[in-house]
Amino acid sequence: MTDLWPRLERLLAHVERPARYLDHEWGCVRKAQADFAFCMVYPDTYELGQANQAVRILTNVVDATEHLRAERAFLPAVDLIDLMREDGLPLFSLESCAPVREFDVVGITLPHELAATNVLETLDLAGIPLRAEDRGEDDPFVLGGGPCAFNPEPYAPFFDAVLVGEGEESVPEALLEVRRLRAQGASRHDVLRALALLPGCYVPSLYRWRDEAWAQEAGVWIEPLEAGLPTRIEKRLFAGFAESPGWEPCIVPYTEVVHDRLNVEVLRGCARGCRFCQAGMMYRPVRERSADNVVASVMQGLAETGYDEVSLTSLSSTDHSQIAEILTRLNRSCDGKGIRISVPSQRLDAFGVDMAGLVAGQKKGGLTFAPEAGTQRLRDVINKNVTEDDLFGAIDAAFAAGWRRCKLYFMIGLPTETDDDIKGIASLAQRAYDRAKAAVPPEQRGNVRVGVSCALFVPKAQTPFQWDGQIPREEALRRVGLLRRSVKYKAVDVHWHDPETSFIEAVMSRAGREAADWVEAAWRRGARFDAWSELFREEAWRDAAQEVGIDVAALAETSFDPSRVMPWAHVSTGVSTRFLALERRRAAEGAVTPDCTFGDCTGCGACPALDAENELVEVRHG
Amino acid sequence: MADPRLFRLRVTFCKQGRLALLSHLEVARALERAVRRAGLPYAVSQGFSPHMRIAFGAALPVGVGGTRECFDLLLERYVSPERALEALQAASAPDLMAKSCAYLEPTAPAASVAFPVSTYRALLSCSPLELPVPRSLEVVRKKKRKTLVVDDFLVGEMELAGAVVTFTLEAKPTGSLRPDVLLSACMDAYNEDPHARDAEGFSLVAQATPSVMEAAPCEECERLSVVSVTRIDQKAADGRTRA
Repeated sequence: MTDLWPRLERLLAHVERPARYLDHEWGCVRKAQADFAFCMVYPDTYELGQANQAVRILTNVVDATEHLRAERAFLPAVDLIDLMREDGLPLFSLESCAPVREFDVVGITLPHELAATNVLETLDLAGIPLRAEDRGEDDPFVLGGGPCAFNPEPYAPFFDAVLVGEGEESVPEALLEVRRLRAQGASRHDVLRALALLPGCYVPSLYRWRDEAWAQEAGVWIEPLEAGLPTRIEKRLFAGFAESPGWEPCIVPYTEVVHDRLNVEVLRGCARGCRFCQAGMMYRPVRERSADNVVASVMQGLAETGYDEVSLTSLSSTDHSQIAEILTRLNRSCDGKGIRISVPSQRLDAFGVDMAGLVAGQKKGGLTFAPEAGTQRLRDVINKNVTEDDLFGAIDAAFAAGWRRCKLYFMIGLPTETDDDIKGIASLAQRAYDRAKAAVPPEQRGNVRVGVSCALFVPKAQTPFQWDGQIPREEALRRVGLLRRSVKYKAVDVHWHDPETSFIEAVMSRAGREAADWVEAAWRRGARFDAWSELFREEAWRDAAQEVGIDVAALAETSFDPSRVMPWAHVSTGVSTRFLALERRRAAEGAVTPDCTFGDCTGCGACPALDAENELVEVRHG
Repeated sequence: MADPRLFRLRVTFCKQGRLALLSHLEVARALERAVRRAGLPYAVSQGFSPHMRIAFGAALPVGVGGTRECFDLLLERYVSPERALEALQAASAPDLMAKSCAYLEPTAPAASVAFPVSTYRALLSCSPLELPVPRSLEVVRKKKRKTLVVDDFLVGEMELAGAVVTFTLEAKPTGSLRPDVLLSACMDAYNEDPHARDAEGFSLVAQATPSVMEAAPCEECERLSVVSVTRIDQKAADGRTRA
């Protein structure tokens, strides 16, 4: 492969933070004996991508497979991208500093809905044709995956294949299949057809995208162009997750990245069943790694990386059946070494605070809780199984234990929300503040702060609220204004997340293949790095919608009956559409559905569909 | 730092190759992590936010390497310098490699201030006949413009030998002149129209051995640029080279 380093090095004197482009970090691997090269791309800068779990897991499994080797690539920051375009330097991998287009297969993870234009920026900078249909025999195969693969259609024309679900096994399988067929001299089309027959692998170009009437009649929006192709893509599940070691080799970056610490995944999946939450549907069933596995993994990981912080990651780490044992043992092992242990995603009750207290040491910054809605009625609608007593119990415990700040997350625009629910947010936050003040000594009461952070509800594909529209921007602003006026306490701050990007997220989450033209038009008008508020260009997206003539407001804001066939009906998380529709109806009734890891099966369908079940080490106690 | 129960280990290391592009903060974090990987019995500060007791030498700018940089590490237990070095080397990247370890008196000056006099060696893209050095230059620091007089910082003469420039700068308590800033001002002056340079504003450094010039005529080169800069020595203000 071509070595671009001498050309890149000349540019690095003129850019910020060149440490992002150097490779050579502690732990980086350059596998020699392999004839098939895979480039794993995170479509944003190194600071975001290097911390990404998918990048770490997939480069490791590919390197561990005979014949295959993996390298990383990230989008450079805008200053270097512009210099590279001026200089004609294409996107490069880190390990070999080789052009990304020289790899056999390029994998791009789709971490969130605002990464779409960066996928095009990646392909364009790499010199790979943006659309699969324009790629020739010598171009690499471009694979997609990650959370947004659960509605792949807005990205469909840009990918040769999309791998749905967990990639630990499916990525090496797909690569070996491409390698085998290429060695036989198979054509690009024949390779794509073979990929389409692999479980969990969707090849959009082999399917015609149909219209609304056809789709509602047929129950699916895609129609195979050839005989023998599946019309249902079931996600892949990594069956060996619980038994696999929580420590796996990782790269220790030089420059500071997000989540710059050892991350050990303690469990996968969450069955609490919040009806707005895509992750809660997409990673079922729940699988726990044992305390022995987690503790050994943390100690080995700290020794091999030299990190001074470890995070026990998952969607709900404090739900782990052995969390108290894990934290107690880690505390003992790390005592006196200046090592911090952190647990993300705070469970909203006194137990969650106890667990946070176990690892907080003397330094107690802020605690974050997510009641999501201001009234019990609306919390029941969204199935956030949390009561005011839970929240106040958590607040009492936290402020008595020494915390002085807490942040409360809410969503605005949830289905069935009324002005009473908005006023309920203000009331809840103010009462939380009163409780907090009562729990601390009088002389410290001036330090008590409660923050309220709000974001606009984004209806997500593959959730019970996938049929619900987002509220229009003007209405969102009215409700935020109402909230601001309803908060009377000076010590309660209200923060509000930009509704413009939430709108793009809603369209990208709910649209079909027609949105791909919109994405490309927006990118051609200069949209990129949409997740960076200082780089987000709303007018590029607005003008693009006019240009391609699609009603994006309708895509984001229309509500449907749960009988409507949605554009991702051919992709399955394992959770049945019937269950999602049932959950939507139960939401309308305000009926809650319990978490099956604490009690009985709720019939979501994931276990039978995926031939798996919840794997809990011990009995969970709520 | 002066806790009699602790052992103060001074470690020298190099910063070279592509890792010369790391910032001081990035180097510091990388070294702390290397110490933890090495399993050395480092001391931890007491208080609100416990951290490793380590102190770094004078900062190098992004893009400037060093052959003998240093940091001081407080250890709770004595480990022989040989064993400490061995453990650090096994835990270090080749371009950010520990080179030596030695114990210091607890009261010795801090690594960051012990050696204000630094000698740098820069490799240029070709051999100029002579190098113009501005007598003063303007720098912007924290949005404030400041004029620095080069002679206030330059110790001895700059030397030009072929494409290699060697010079020594002294850091003052009031501030310092960065080697990369000085070099880039020299490059700018060289690459501008030579006739525009007046003797008032510039001094000229000639080749130490004029015969070098015959081997590498500079006219072929479009623009003179700096290929690499390395700090090759650090001294105390009184001229003592460090151990």
